[in-house]
Amino acid sequence: MELLWELVRRDVRARYRGSVLGIGWTLLNPLVFMLVYAAVFGALLKVQGPSGKSYLVFLLCGLLPWTFFQQALVMAASSIIANAGVVRKVAFSWMLLTVSTVMAALVNFLISLVLLVPFIIFTKSPVGLPLLAVPGLVLVTFGLSLGLGLMLAAGSVYFRDLQYIINLATMVWFYITPVIWPFTKYEGFFHHGKLGLIFKFIIYANPMTWVTLGFQDIFVFNRWPQHWHGLLYTVVLAAVLIYFGMRVFRRLRRRFAEEI
Amino acid sequence: MSDGPIVVSGLSKRFRIYHQRSETLKEMLVDRRRSRYEEFWAVKDIDLEVHEGETFGIIGANGSGKSTLLKCMAGILIPDRGKVTVRGRLASLLEVGAGFHPDYSGRENIYLNGAILGLPRRYINSVIDEIVGFAELEQFIDNPVRNYSSGMYTRLGFSIAIHMDPDILLIDEVLAVGDEAFQRRCMDHIEGMRREGRTLVFVSHAADSVRRLCDRCLWIDHGVQRALGVTGPVVDSYVGEVNQHEMEALRQAAAGAGASEAGWMGVRITSLTFTGEGEQASSATTGSSLTVAVGYEAPGPLHGVRFRISFYPAGQDTLISTQTDDGELGTRTLPAHGTVRLAIPQLPLLDGVYGAKVEILDLTSGRQYVEIDRPQSFRVQGQGRRETGMALLGHSWEVPLMDPTAAGV
Repeated sequence: MELLWELVRRDVRARYRGSVLGIGWTLLNPLVFMLVYAAVFGALLKVQGPSGKSYLVFLLCGLLPWTFFQQALVMAASSIIANAGVVRKVAFSWMLLTVSTVMAALVNFLISLVLLVPFIIFTKSPVGLPLLAVPGLVLVTFGLSLGLGLMLAAGSVYFRDLQYIINLATMVWFYITPVIWPFTKYEGFFHHGKLGLIFKFIIYANPMTWVTLGFQDIFVFNRWPQHWHGLLYTVVLAAVLIYFGMRVFRRLRRRFAEEI
Repeated sequence: MSDGPIVVSGLSKRFRIYHQRSETLKEMLVDRRRSRYEEFWAVKDIDLEVHEGETFGIIGANGSGKSTLLKCMAGILIPDRGKVTVRGRLASLLEVGAGFHPDYSGRENIYLNGAILGLPRRYINSVIDEIVGFAELEQFIDNPVRNYSSGMYTRLGFSIAIHMDPDILLIDEVLAVGDEAFQRRCMDHIEGMRREGRTLVFVSHAADSVRRLCDRCLWIDHGVQRALGVTGPVVDSYVGEVNQHEMEALRQAAAGAGASEAGWMGVRITSLTFTGEGEQASSATTGSSLTVAVGYEAPGPLHGVRFRISFYPAGQDTLISTQTDDGELGTRTLPAHGTVRLAIPQLPLLDGVYGAKVEILDLTSGRQYVEIDRPQSFRVQGQGRRETGMALLGHSWEVPLMDPTAAGV
């Protein structure tokens, strides 16, 4: 536990070493993306938020958990390789290196949630009791990231390309997650023939869909997350991913010190 | 069963040698059918038990698998067959400075590194002053380690490892860190741990240090256990074989080499031999004779030349250099080919392998015609000599005698 704490501290601090803005980058990053998406999709392509709701808040509350998920995966993928020096020389629970990177991403995410405050006040979006569901959603997202992260971390020791593949994959993944396009407005599209069915399958299978919708329910609509079946699926999936993530990691760790 | 702090039974570890590491997707897909690696056994069927409180040595040439064995003991490598059982807290000096964060100060790194090594913060608090003091980093401990010199870096890492207070300490020839004084303090510290009855495992290819430190040892050769037991005999047989290999290598070098390319003005050295009193070529004994014969060849008679021969211990600077008499050779013309001999009646070199450099120079311009440099020229056997080092010292000892009148008191 002590080691995990030290490692998380190291990872959080490592991200902003020597930068002037420091922790400010955690806030600036999603902020800039939000503005870019708002300009391109909102103003230019006329994508609209849920009726009568602020597109900005809608964007932001999907963007923040997504950024967490994406960064956790990307950082986890290189978490073992980046610590080659230690892995080659010291026998300890190497899994903690991956766990700590995902936790460091979590810390950044929690800090970035602050961003929502001024927007909620400015756009006068009401929030209330449903906020209590936020920790649950955060936990699920953390579980998803951790499970996948463990597989990626162990796998990329043997297959370096995984680091780059995950970069690309998350970019595509972003668009099949309803962050910039409101789910409810495009639901009808799923019933249009074969293509619609394929899209429906992909988007329903994507666990981040349900996490994002949950966040939007809380911050945009001020209501408890509506898609219970989706969330239940996500929770089960997260548990399965963690289980298999740990198994894969334990199996692959046997040759870490020599392959790295 | 036995219950020593470390029990190794039937341990084998296999490594993969990749023909060409296919880490990229393309190779992975294209080269599917071809086997991309070969496997070889880095250590095979090792059985040993380290006893409580002893210093156990693992000796062997480079690449013999000693470090692999040590890493298996440390739990970094997981054996493919057999197993390692460790009882007690184990620390290893493999990990010097591993996991330091460059932007952290020395002090923060002590906590981080300590956590990685499994030390509770409370414990580190109680020994941090000792760690810093031992590493002699009092003034710099709050500076980021990226500004440390490599010596400071290793001293700090070493100091942390040594202060882990382990029951078992694994040491892998890393004692050559820091300056002389720091090395000595490390040795003292390790010596202290020995006296306290800690168990030490020491890996080295140097026979001397194993002989000095270890109670028992294992000789490992190409991953296979060659001998196990009390240090003396095991190290003797190891040294015996190393010498034999060396002689073999020298003989081969002597047979093949000796001739140089043509140098300036087409002068070349055609042969270079070292003859001692023994029967074997390229072998001599301290205090007896050695003759160096240099065969040369030139397009025409040579006028005003200088021959120079320098001796040096393997991998070091020149120890002795000697050259022909310029006054005498300056007025003489040498035949276009012939042999120059340097006779040393009493060789002052002590036990070891020596290199030799032979040069032929033009006296008037000082320019070099040709040179030949052979790092492993001959082996000197210094059997039973009390001197250590490189050169023989003509000397005598005088010790005080007992005063006969005081003898009865």
